[in-house]
Amino acid sequence: MKYVPTIGIECHVQLSTKTKLFSEVDNDARGKEPNSCVSPVDYALPGMLPRLNGEAIKFAIRAGRAMHCEINAFSRFDRKHYFYPDSPKGYQITQFYQPIIGPGFVELPSGTKIRIEHAHLEGDAGKLTHFANYSLVDLNRVDTPLIEIVSMPDIHSPKDAHDYCKELWRLMCYAEVTYGDLFNGNMRFDVNISLAPEGAKELGTRAEIKNLNSFRSVERAAEYEIKRQTRILNAGEKVVQETRGWNDASGETTGQRSKEEAKDYRYMPEPDLPPINLSQEFIDEESAKLPLMPSDYRENFGDVLKPDILEILLDYPNLMIKLNQLVAREGNSGGLSEVTTENEGASPVTTGRSDTSQKGLSSRVALIANLFTSVLLAEEKSAEYLNDLPSSKDLNELAEMNEKKELSSTATKEVFLKLFDPQMKGRGVKNIAKELGLVQENDLGALQKIVEIVLAKPETQKAQDDFRNGQEKVIGFLVGQVMKESHGKANPAAVQEILRKLLTK
Amino acid sequence: MDVKCEDVRHLASLSDFSLSDQETESLKKDLQGIIKYISQLDELDTKDVEPTYQVFEMENVWRDDEILPQEANREALLALTKEEENHQIKVPKVL
Repeated sequence: MKYVPTIGIECHVQLSTKTKLFSEVDNDARGKEPNSCVSPVDYALPGMLPRLNGEAIKFAIRAGRAMHCEINAFSRFDRKHYFYPDSPKGYQITQFYQPIIGPGFVELPSGTKIRIEHAHLEGDAGKLTHFANYSLVDLNRVDTPLIEIVSMPDIHSPKDAHDYCKELWRLMCYAEVTYGDLFNGNMRFDVNISLAPEGAKELGTRAEIKNLNSFRSVERAAEYEIKRQTRILNAGEKVVQETRGWNDASGETTGQRSKEEAKDYRYMPEPDLPPINLSQEFIDEESAKLPLMPSDYRENFGDVLKPDILEILLDYPNLMIKLNQLVAREGNSGGLSEVTTENEGASPVTTGRSDTSQKGLSSRVALIANLFTSVLLAEEKSAEYLNDLPSSKDLNELAEMNEKKELSSTATKEVFLKLFDPQMKGRGVKNIAKELGLVQENDLGALQKIVEIVLAKPETQKAQDDFRNGQEKVIGFLVGQVMKESHGKANPAAVQEILRKLLTK
Repeated sequence: MDVKCEDVRHLASLSDFSLSDQETESLKKDLQGIIKYISQLDELDTKDVEPTYQVFEMENVWRDDEILPQEANREALLALTKEEENHQIKVPKVL
């Protein structure tokens, strides 16, 4: 029988506020000693009062708006009780009944829309490390602000599950609400999967795979579960509703607990935290602070960059911001595509001073985008480089020199990399190119002189004869000789033109 | 509502308490009494009454996102725990 998989995803996003959700303690525990970012509130000592971080509310509004979600003016906190050493309070403070973020949607690059049911604010739990017969508890992560994003069951393939998680990650990074470091658990995914016969109205019994921390593992776990459940259903058996763990090494999910009791969290209103009641003005003010989102960049750069290049670049917000600055330099804040459309049918590319034309800008943006994807991202130190990108002025100059053929494509790459060199950057593109002797000779008079010198050399006589006798290919050899004579500074296209002119005279 | 020993044991297991039969029986009586007392509220019609989330009618009590020095440092807090190892709290294996 043919089954249709249905996948719902809950995603926890750690917010990058300075302090925790309920205490004035450093929220950034990266590289810090265990239990060094804690307070009596995190320890849940008797009489400690949680104090709500106002910034987390603002972050939640931005995160919600990034997913086209309604923001609920009224929201409040509840206690979710459970007993486990990762939570000294014995409960988690969360928003069970009245979350701050209402329904919305996330649009995948393919155009598929995944609806968001809601998202809520809550505190994270501590970290446990298990040993043979004891566990160690680190409370640094206790009450790091989280938003938990709950999708509707709109996902029907492992690929879409992957794309949804990735797009969420991008949205949260562009909204600047998280460090987005998946390796360190800044975003974690719980994936529930069920199968139902094609055309069935009701969903099948689902299995939930908790705590996945990469898009790839979400996709693989979903693939595995679909196969496993198909096998069970085809054998006429029933899928058990349970939580399963994912083993990344073996590529399998396994049942985690034998006793699957009905959850009993005994939710109750959190009496220590007064409710949140936001004015429309406050919500609008925060919503307006949302930076450009991937969909904005897709719209602005869609006509200039190939979709595959654009999708690679979108994984690096810094690069998109830089490309946008490049465009903004020329006063085209309205974006590239708009202006390109207006200019359609207008004058073709002009050279020299007037090449601030839209088409010139588009090709410069494409050139820089290409340098980003094919040169920068291929570098070993790319992660470091991404945090210290060249100025848009430098990049624009570099693109202009390339455009005017003052730099060959190889030389452009070389100068581009020097812009990341602490010794070289700051000197300016032109100076770097000159110092490295990479500026191409475009002066036709000067080039002709070099060509004449080469043509006068005895070792080029045979090639000249061959060319005159119709052997097209030897032009390459002659261009090479001129390049050598010019120490690589001649513009090969111009050289070839001059050679042809002189040889066919 | 009638509280059964089974309910008491369920509640105890949620909090990881182990109770003797005698304790279970005694807690059952206490809980029964508490619930009976609270149940007096059932006589009222609360259909149109807004739930009370907290009694002070405060809203929007927030603080700034600024790190403040803590009076209790790591050592002082760890000293409150029964056992520690490598600056972490040592607990019996749970899962």
